[in-house]
Amino acid sequence: MRDAEAHEYVVRFSFWACFQHAAGILLFGVLLLTGMPQKWPYVEASRWIIEHLGGIFAVRWLHRVAGIVFSILFVTHLVVAIAGVATRRNQPALLLNRKDFRDAVDNIRYYVGSAEAPPRFGRYDYRQKFEYWGLIFGALIMALSGFILYFPILVSRVLPAELIPAAKVMHSNEALLAFLIILVWHMFGAHLSPESFPMDTSIFTGKIRKEKLRREHPLEYEDLFGQQ
Amino acid sequence: MKRHRVARNSGVAVAAALVLGLLAGSASSQPLPESVSYCLNCHEDKQLSLGLKDGSSMSLYVNPRDFARSVHGKQLICTDCHARYEQDHPSGATFPSKRGYAIAAYETCKKCHFDTYTRTLESVHYELLKGGLDSAPVCTDCHGAHNIQNPHEKRAMVSRSCATCHVAVYQAYAHSVHGKALVEEGNQDVPACADCHAHHQIEQPGTKHFRLNSPQICIRCHGDARRMSKYGISTTVVQTYLSDFHGVTASLGRGASSAASQVVVTCIDCHGAHDMASPRLKGKEAMKATVAAACAKCHEGASPDFPAAWLSHYEPSLRHAPLVFLVDLFYKIFIPFVVIGLVLQVLLHLYRASAGR
Repeated sequence: MRDAEAHEYVVRFSFWACFQHAAGILLFGVLLLTGMPQKWPYVEASRWIIEHLGGIFAVRWLHRVAGIVFSILFVTHLVVAIAGVATRRNQPALLLNRKDFRDAVDNIRYYVGSAEAPPRFGRYDYRQKFEYWGLIFGALIMALSGFILYFPILVSRVLPAELIPAAKVMHSNEALLAFLIILVWHMFGAHLSPESFPMDTSIFTGKIRKEKLRREHPLEYEDLFGQQ
Repeated sequence: MKRHRVARNSGVAVAAALVLGLLAGSASSQPLPESVSYCLNCHEDKQLSLGLKDGSSMSLYVNPRDFARSVHGKQLICTDCHARYEQDHPSGATFPSKRGYAIAAYETCKKCHFDTYTRTLESVHYELLKGGLDSAPVCTDCHGAHNIQNPHEKRAMVSRSCATCHVAVYQAYAHSVHGKALVEEGNQDVPACADCHAHHQIEQPGTKHFRLNSPQICIRCHGDARRMSKYGISTTVVQTYLSDFHGVTASLGRGASSAASQVVVTCIDCHGAHDMASPRLKGKEAMKATVAAACAKCHEGASPDFPAAWLSHYEPSLRHAPLVFLVDLFYKIFIPFVVIGLVLQVLLHLYRASAGR
C-alpha cells in the first residue's frame, strides 16, 4: 500500500491557482527587476539594469504596467476567492484560526525538542497561511501606495500631500520586506527544505504525491481517504 | 586709406625709442623691456589710429601702464603677440574692420594657451562665431588685450565682461544672493558666471543636457560641507534632492544613452538660475509659492497643498513630515523583526531535520 502511494498523485491545485502562481512569478520578477534599481538608483548595478532596459522612463513605464496587471490579478483573486467561498464551491481553507497559532507554538516546541512530534496540519499549514496573508496584505499595501505614487496630483486634491512621500517610503520598504520573505521563507519552504528539495512541484503540476500529502497535510489526507 | 601719423624713418625711431623708453620706464613703476618701449614710441600716442577698409578708424594707442600691470607685462613683449610686425612696419596694410581684426587675432593666444584655445572651439560662442555672428566673443572680448588680468583673481571683472552681451542675465545675477556677495563684498566662495557655465568650453544652456547636468553644478559648492558651514547652509539639500523622484530622474537621465524625453525639475526651477535668492531671506511663504509655481509648470491641476509632497529638503522627522518618519521607523523595526524571525525558524527547522528523525 505505502509503496503504491509513492507513485499515486492527488489533485491539489486548480488551473486557476497554478495560473495565478505563474503570473505572480512573472509579475513579481518584472516588478523587482524594475523596482529595485529605482530603490537604489545610485548603485552601479542598478544603473546597468536601467540602462539595459532602455532608460529610466522605460523602466518606470514597465513597472507601472506590471503594477497595473498585478493589481488586476490581485483584485480578480479576491473576487474569485470570495465568490468561491460564498457559493460554497471552495472551502475557506486559508482562513486563519486558533489552531494555526497553536500549531506554530507546537511546531517550535517540536523544533527545540520539547515535543515528540510536529503538529498535524490540514490542507495548509500555518507557514503557508502566513505567507498567503503576507502576500494579501503586502499586495494591498503595494497596490494602494503604488497608485498614490502614480497619481500624486489626484491624491493631493483629496488627501494631505504628505501621503505621497509616505507612500513612497511604504512602497519601497514593503517591497523589500516582500522580497526578503520570498527569499528566506518561500525559497526555503518550496526549494531548500529537506522535505521539498530540490523543488516542490505541486503548484506547477497541480498535483501532489499522495505520500507527501499524508506526511505534510495529514488532516487533509484523512479527510480525503479516511483514517488508516 | 588714411594714415595719421607714421614714423617714416626707422633711424629716428630708434633714437626716439631710447629717450621715450626711459621716460616710459620712469612713468610706470616697472621698467618695460626695451623692445616694448620701442613700439610704444609710436603707440603711446593717443591720436595714433589706422583707417580701416570699412571707413572707420581703429585706435592704435596702447596704455603703457595697463600693459605693465597686466599679467603679461613682465613676461611678453609686443611681438610675441603681434608677430607679423617685426619687419617693414608699418607696412601700409590694413584690415576690413575693427571686429574683423579682433577675430583674426583669435589665433594669437593659441601659441601659449593651446589647451584653453581648443576648449573654446567646443563652446557655444565658437559655434556662433562659426555661424557668422561676428559679435560672438573671442579671447580678447572677455580677457582684454593689453590689460589682461589674472582671471582667477579678478572673478568679478570676468563676470562683468559677460555683461557686455548678456545684460539682463548679468543684472539678475548681480542682484542675486551670489552676485551681491561677489560684486559688493568680494566674496570668493560664491560662483561667478564662469563657475557655473564653464570657463572656455561654454555649453549651450537651456538644452536638456544642460538642464539634467545642472544639479551637479550646484552640488559642487552646496555639497561641500566646509564651504557651506561658513554660511550655516546644510548640505542635506543635495542628498534630499538626489534621493527624491526628480533627483533620481535627472541623475539617471544624464547617464542614459537616450536623452530623457521629458523635462525634469532641477534646483534652478525653484531657486532660479541667475536670480537665486536665499530661501531664508525670502521667507517660508514666498518660497512655498515659488515651489508651487514650479510644480504647476508640469503637474497640471496641482492643488496649492501639492508642494507638501516635497519635503523641502528636510529629512523626515517628528517635526518635519512625521507621517513619513513614522512609516519609515515602522519598517526599520518591522523588517528586521520579521526577517530575523523567519531565519530563526528556518534554522530551527534545519536543526531538527538534521538532529532528529
